[in-house]
Amino acid sequence: MIETVKLSKIFKGKKAVDEIDLYIDEGESIGLLGPNGAGKSTTISMISTLLKPTSGDVKLNGKSTIKNPGEIRRILGVVPQEIALYEELTAYENLKFFGEIYHVKKNILEQRTQEVLEMVGLKKRQKELVKTFSGGMKRRVNIAAALLHQPKVLILDEPTVGIDPQSRNHILETVRKLNEEYGTTVLYTSHYMEEVEQLCKRVYIMDHGKVVAAGSKEELLSILSSEDMIQVTLSETSERVVEKVKAINNIRRVDVTDKSLRIISKKGSSILSDLVHAVESEAIHLTNFQMEKPSLEDVFLHITGRTLRD
Amino acid sequence: MISFLKKDLLVFWRDRKEVLISILAPILILIVLNVAFSGISIDDTDELDVRAGLVLEDDEAAAFKQFEETLREMNLAEMEINAMMDQAKTLSPSGVMVSFFEDPELSSWIHTIEMSEEEAKKQVENGELEAIIKIPAGFTHDMLSQVMLGQPADTAIRFQIAEHSFETDILASVIDHYIETLNFQLALDAVTKDEGTELVLPQGGRDVISENIVEIELAQYYTIAMSSLFALFIAATVAVKTATEKRERVFNRILLTNSSPFSYLMGKVISTFLLAWIQLMLVFIATDLMLGIFPEKLSEFWLGIIVIVTFFSLTIAGLSAIFTSLTLRMSNINTANGLFTMVVMVLAALGGNFFSLEQFPNWVQELSQWTPTGVAIDLFTEFLQNGNAISFAVPLVKQFVFFCGFFALGILLFPERGRS
Ligand SMILES: Nc1ncnc2c1ncn2[C@@H]1O[C@H](COP(=O)(O)OP(=O)(O)O)[C@@H](O)[C@H]1O
Ligand SMILES: [Mg+2]
Repeated sequence: MIETVKLSKIFKGKKAVDEIDLYIDEGESIGLLGPNGAGKSTTISMISTLLKPTSGDVKLNGKSTIKNPGEIRRILGVVPQEIALYEELTAYENLKFFGEIYHVKKNILEQRTQEVLEMVGLKKRQKELVKTFSGGMKRRVNIAAALLHQPKVLILDEPTVGIDPQSRNHILETVRKLNEEYGTTVLYTSHYMEEVEQLCKRVYIMDHGKVVAAGSKEELLSILSSEDMIQVTLSETSERVVEKVKAINNIRRVDVTDKSLRIISKKGSSILSDLVHAVESEAIHLTNFQMEKPSLEDVFLHITGRTLRD
Repeated sequence: MISFLKKDLLVFWRDRKEVLISILAPILILIVLNVAFSGISIDDTDELDVRAGLVLEDDEAAAFKQFEETLREMNLAEMEINAMMDQAKTLSPSGVMVSFFEDPELSSWIHTIEMSEEEAKKQVENGELEAIIKIPAGFTHDMLSQVMLGQPADTAIRFQIAEHSFETDILASVIDHYIETLNFQLALDAVTKDEGTELVLPQGGRDVISENIVEIELAQYYTIAMSSLFALFIAATVAVKTATEKRERVFNRILLTNSSPFSYLMGKVISTFLLAWIQLMLVFIATDLMLGIFPEKLSEFWLGIIVIVTFFSLTIAGLSAIFTSLTLRMSNINTANGLFTMVVMVLAALGGNFFSLEQFPNWVQELSQWTPTGVAIDLFTEFLQNGNAISFAVPLVKQFVFFCGFFALGILLFPERGRS
C-alpha cells in the first residue's frame, strides 16, 4: 500500500535519512525501531507529506505522493512525537476542531468525537482544558485527534515517551485493538524494543539514517541464532576478571553491569567450565547463572555494537 | 474556514489577559491622557500658580477713535457709523482679555499684573514672573477692522514664557481658548447684528494670526491615534498566536488535514477583523461615555464611525495575513515579533499616531496618505470636523485596496510544504 523508494533527507549537509526502502501492506502493524536521532521522525514526516524528501519517493499504491499529497493525507492518521494540541482549549474542543478540518461529516462528528474519547479513556474529562492534563492524558488526546477521520493507516511517532505505565498500557492496548479489531494499518515508531516486540509483526531497525535490519520478529531474532547469551552474577567484579572472561575461547562479547556480566558466545560452545575457572582464579564466586532468550535489543546490539538507549 | 475562525476566537478568548490588555489598554491610556490634559479643571487649581505680566500697549480709547476715523473715510452714513461704533464698544477685544483674567476662577491661580514691557522683561529675568502676555498697540483696532470690515489683521497677542512648564502650557491654552471664545463671539455678533451682510469668519491668533484651521480637540485626536495604534497591534498579536500554533505543532497537524492555506489565513484575517472592530468600537463608545469625547453626536455620526472603523479593521486584518505567513516562515519567534513591532511603529509614525505631521515636509505627508493609519486618521479627523459632508469614497477605496494587497501578499508568502 505505502512504500518508500530510496527516501533521503539531508539537513545542512547531514544525512538524517539515507536511502530508506520500506513498505507497509494493508492491515499490517509495522515497527520502526531505532535510538534517538536515528531518523525515525524525519522518515515519518516525509511519509506524511510534512517534509519534502531531498531525494527518493513515497508511493501510495504505486503512485508518487510528492506532487499529489492529497490522497495519502486523507488515509493517514498521524500521531506526532510532540503533543500537537491547543493547550487553551478543552479535549472536546480540540477534537471538534480537528474533526471539522479533517472534513468529518457534521452529522457524525459528535458521535466520532465521543467514540475516540471513549477509545482513549478520556470521556469523563473531555470538558477540561488540555493544559490541565497530565503528560499521559495529553498523549491520549494527541492520539484521539488522529483517529477522528477513521484513517486507514495510523502512524504513531513514539507515542509513549515520558508517561506513566498506566497510560502507556492504555495506549498500547488501544493501538493493538485498532490493528486487530478494526483492521487499521499501523506504523509504530519507538526506541522501546518491548513495545515494538509486543505490537508489531514486522520491524525495521534504523540507525544513523539507515535501515540496518528488517524482517519479522523471528527473522530478526534468527540473526542471533549463531549465538548464546548468558547472564552471570558475581559476588564482585574487577577489571581483571572481566579481562579473563573476555579471553576465554568462543566468547565474543562481554558487557558489565554492576555485578553481572552479559556474555555472548558462539552457539553451543561449552564455555561454562572455563568461565567458572576464570572467576574462581580471582577468588570471586559465581552467584547466579542464566541462559537468556535474545530480544530485539540484542539484535540491535549485535548489528550496531550499541544499545538502543546509548 | 468557520472552524478556523471559531478556533482562533476561542483560543483568544481563553487568554483573557490578552483580551483585557488589547481592549482595555487603549481605554485606560485614554482616560489617563484625558485627566492629564484636563488638568485645568477647577479642583486642581489650588496647586497651580502662574504669575504673568500683562503688558497693555493697546490704547482702547484711541483705537475706537481711530476706528471711527477709518469708518468715516469709507463715506458711510452717520447712523451706520454710530451703530458700528456701538457694536465695536461692546466687543472691546482687549477689554475682554483683561476682564478674562480678572475672572475669579482664573485669577485664583493666574496672577496678572499690569506693567510696562521693560519692567516685565526684568521681572522674568530675575524669576518673579513666569510669562508675559502682551497686547500690542493697535490690537483693538486691528481686531475691529478684521471682524467688522473684513480687513486682514497682523497684530497678535504676544505670549512669552520664561521656561516651558506645565503651568505655562496651560496658560497658553487658556489664551488660545480666549481667542477661540473671542472669535466665536465675534462671529455670533456678526451673524445676529448684521444679517444682511455676508458672514466673515473672524480670525485671531496667538503669536501669528494664522490661517483658519478648525482644529479637532486634543482628546479626540488622542482617541483616534491611540485606538488605531492599538488596533494595529492586534494584527501582530494574532500572528504571534500563530507562532504558538507552530511551536505547539498544531500547525503541522493542520497541514496534515488537507486544509487549504486560504482557509487557515482567512480564519486569522476574519478573527483579526472582528477583534480590531470590537476594540475600536469599544474604545470610541467607552471614551465617549466616560469622558464625553464626542459630545452631542447623533446616530448619523456613529454610522460614519462604524463605516470608517469597518474599513480600517479590514486593512488591519489584511496586515495580519502577512504577519501570519511571515511567522510561519521565520524560525525565531522573537525576531518575528520584533519585526512586526517595528512595522507597526513605522506605520503608526507615518500615519500620525504619535504626533501630528503638519510640521513635516510635504513628502512625509504625501507618504502618510499611503499608509493605512494615515488614511484612517485623516478620514477620522476630517469626519469629526465636517461630518458627513466629506467624501468617503477615496479613502475607503484606498483602505480596501490595502486589504486586498495585504491579503494577496499574505497568501503569496504562505510557506510551502516542507518550509514550515
Ligand atoms: N529540522 C531539522 N533540521 C536539522 N536537523 C534535523 C532536523 N530535524 C531532524 N534533524 C536531525 O536529523 C536527525 C534525525 O532526527 P529524527 O528524525 O528526529 O530522529 P528520531 O526521530 O529517530 O529520534 C537528528 O540528528 C536530528 O538532529
Ligand atoms: Mg523522533
